[in-house]
Amino acid sequence: MEMKSRPVMEKRLRWAGLLIGVGLVTQEITFIWIHPLAFIAFAAISCPLVIAGILLFLYSLVSPPPAA
Amino acid sequence: MTLELAFVVIVIVLAILVGLRAELTRARGGKILAFIALFILPILSLNLGVSEHMERATSTQFCLSCHVMHDFGQSLYVDDPSYLPAAHFQNSLVPRDHACYTCHTDYTMFGTVHAKFRGLRHIYVQYLGTVPQPAEIKLYVPFNNRECLHCHAAMRAFEEEPKHSKTPGMMSRITSNQLSCMSSHCHDVVHNVATIKDATFWKGGQ
Repeated sequence: MEMKSRPVMEKRLRWAGLLIGVGLVTQEITFIWIHPLAFIAFAAISCPLVIAGILLFLYSLVSPPPAA
Repeated sequence: MTLELAFVVIVIVLAILVGLRAELTRARGGKILAFIALFILPILSLNLGVSEHMERATSTQFCLSCHVMHDFGQSLYVDDPSYLPAAHFQNSLVPRDHACYTCHTDYTMFGTVHAKFRGLRHIYVQYLGTVPQPAEIKLYVPFNNRECLHCHAAMRAFEEEPKHSKTPGMMSRITSNQLSCMSSHCHDVVHNVATIKDATFWKGGQ
């Protein structure tokens, strides 16, 4: 059971890392401009991606392992 | 800012590294690393981003980046001290990098939040609504003396100015916002963008 749940958890961790990475890269890109659209891009793209990654990471910690 | 950028780059590398090498989390140290890289550091990075963007949103460059605000920006350089924003801007009575925000925020507990929501409304109008002509742009509510008094209250030059005590009780009417600072024959020349094309401009301070 433990062995089977690991790949699922690791898959979620991969996605969490990817979401956080992409979110933070877009955050860095929005720092290039001082413009309202940069703010909107940060609020509409970067924040949701990073928050989704964090929530997915937390979910991977508490989610039950898949049924055998 | 450079340090903040470097910090976020490190967080990106760590998050992607932990994501790609998720098997690291099988060990106790890996679990701790994942918690730091996928929870603690991203929250700190996001907080830095929010803080930086909030700061940028108060800058003069940010406010004037929309085309419709061009004439309002020009009014800061009018070579006429009777133009209230120009007198403040050119004499550094407001920080030049935050000139718009300094006068147009509300100096109340939630003034900054209100200013941000007004800014979001402006962005909506700019990109999804009908953009008015500069001369048609008006304040949502009459300018509150509270914003002027945030700096001018208890200032000697303000209190001893004879024009502020021309009539009995005038000063108390000013401080209680019953008599607007921008009343006719007081400081009624503000941005006046409708006539800005005829103005001459100060060349300094660029």
